[in-house]
Amino acid sequence: MPPLLQAAGLTKHYGSTIALEDATFDVHEGVTGLLGPNGAGKSTAIKLFLGLIRPTSGSAEVLGTKPYETVEGRARLGYMPEHECLPSSVTASEFLMHMAQVSGLPPAHARTRTADILRHVGLDEERYRAIGEYSTGMRQRVKLAQALVHDPVLVLLDEPTAGLDPGGREEMLDLISRTGHSFGISIMLSTHLMGDIERTADRVIVLEGGRVAQEGPVSDFTKDTTTLLVEVDDHHDEIITALSAGGVTAIRRGQSLVIEDAGDAELDAVRDALASSGARLRRMAPHRGTLTDIFRDAPHGV
Amino acid sequence: MASEPPVTTGPQGEVFDLGYQRYDGPREGRSRARKAIYWDGVKLILGIGRGPKSKILPLLLFIGAMFPALVFVIILSVAGDVAGFLFDGPAGYNGMISTLLIMFGAIMAPELFTPDRKDRVLDLYLVRPITSTDYAMARVAAFMSIVLALVYSGQIVLQLGLILTATEPWGYIKDNWQDIPRFIGAGFLVALFITAIPMAVATFTNRRAYASVFVIGLFMVTAVTVEILTQVESCPGHARSMNGEIILDELECEPLTGDAAKYIELLNFGAAPLFMNDLVFDIESRSELHDAIPIGAYGVYTVIPLALIWWQYRRTRI
Repeated sequence: MPPLLQAAGLTKHYGSTIALEDATFDVHEGVTGLLGPNGAGKSTAIKLFLGLIRPTSGSAEVLGTKPYETVEGRARLGYMPEHECLPSSVTASEFLMHMAQVSGLPPAHARTRTADILRHVGLDEERYRAIGEYSTGMRQRVKLAQALVHDPVLVLLDEPTAGLDPGGREEMLDLISRTGHSFGISIMLSTHLMGDIERTADRVIVLEGGRVAQEGPVSDFTKDTTTLLVEVDDHHDEIITALSAGGVTAIRRGQSLVIEDAGDAELDAVRDALASSGARLRRMAPHRGTLTDIFRDAPHGV
Repeated sequence: MASEPPVTTGPQGEVFDLGYQRYDGPREGRSRARKAIYWDGVKLILGIGRGPKSKILPLLLFIGAMFPALVFVIILSVAGDVAGFLFDGPAGYNGMISTLLIMFGAIMAPELFTPDRKDRVLDLYLVRPITSTDYAMARVAAFMSIVLALVYSGQIVLQLGLILTATEPWGYIKDNWQDIPRFIGAGFLVALFITAIPMAVATFTNRRAYASVFVIGLFMVTAVTVEILTQVESCPGHARSMNGEIILDELECEPLTGDAAKYIELLNFGAAPLFMNDLVFDIESRSELHDAIPIGAYGVYTVIPLALIWWQYRRTRI
């Protein structure tokens, strides 16, 4: 399958400011996370894929076409912005029907699609209320619905959980996961929240200072590592000294001791050190990677 | 003995969740998008699909645009030719409703541009399969359609009245058929003008009230300035006190005359479409200059605002 989005040496400069530098990556079917802190180049990448700006050099392709050369490709693309972008005086139903037509759907089909999508995002009962009367969570769902109403192949979501309370965030992440994995609509999710990516995405592209720092399946970043975490209540220093005497380096991190590249010999040494120090063991387990580690381990720092 | 109806057990019906259905119907691209934005604009101006309050102003404006024609037709049917002394007929009709049209443009034109920018709905339009020019021109076309309807509605009532009250309706049509293409042409030029300036102003602010006040001010200031420069023969001079009262001296002013006055008159924005009206109806022009000059002024007053609208939306970024 050809990639849905393709960035090849994609570069965008605003005067002397580098927003994106020589970024090369592909986005395939499924849910792809675009992860990075503020100023990493995520919004610039989205604007380039939407064809709203032209690259300084390199190319951005969406579904095989260059979006800044023709607008027709946007008929199969959806976009949910981070900021407020909804009219307050019209109903969700009226607004979505209009937006479906602006995406090229005939009025009768737009009406059917609107009803379907409002049901999928859970706003079926509220569809005849003015958007201005909606809660933040409901407005976020309308924003997602307008991005889906024309049945795009790919949707670009920009910080979709911004401003939501924990309950609303969970609901939105469920909805995104369902859209990406059950509806068959691919998603590129741009966020600085690693939890959002871990919850929903299959792959992740990490941007850092306008460059691609890392990319790959999310499972690669979250699998078990050879790092051993030993959580004890007390006697941390004695254990570190005992391990050090046996040639094993342990670093204290809070209540835990971290031992890199722990094999059988290191496990035996930990057992002996715990026994000799008389420390009370709480937990001992291999460290499971998280996306947070990407930033901790990043060579340039984030 | 009648048999007992069969007893049914178990579920009588089931509800199936079909899940998400992909769309494989037609996609009509940019042309559908333009039509959708156009009709949305028309509905917005007329208040269709909105509360009763949104419909009051457009309704009053339509009544206002047709009112002089209705009065004319009533007088014509009751008093015959006397009506001719009171009204100029089709040629003078656009002049009669021009103030109303300017008010309509000032109040309603911002409605089509400013809310989309203020609420940032424009960002959602710009990521769909249309260009910013498609969006702006569809909105302009929507507004102009309504202005055309306003301009033509009165003229149609007037024409029908003139034909139906004539002693020989068919003879009247044969003698005056040229009025029909003339009112269509003149109405188009008036509507284009009423559309261009208020809509261009509306692209520079996110506040509807500012745009409306600016447009009304623009027409008033240019009209009053031209009046002062070309008509006023006395003006207030120094203030002095006499018996405890402040008295203003009257000074004689010399109004501009000759070619200077004729050119200055072109600066009255409100008069520009009426110069064109006079030309189309082939009546004595309000402007004493060569026809090409008021035509040029009209061109400048319409082309520049339309170009500004295009330029403003072309440089719009989300």
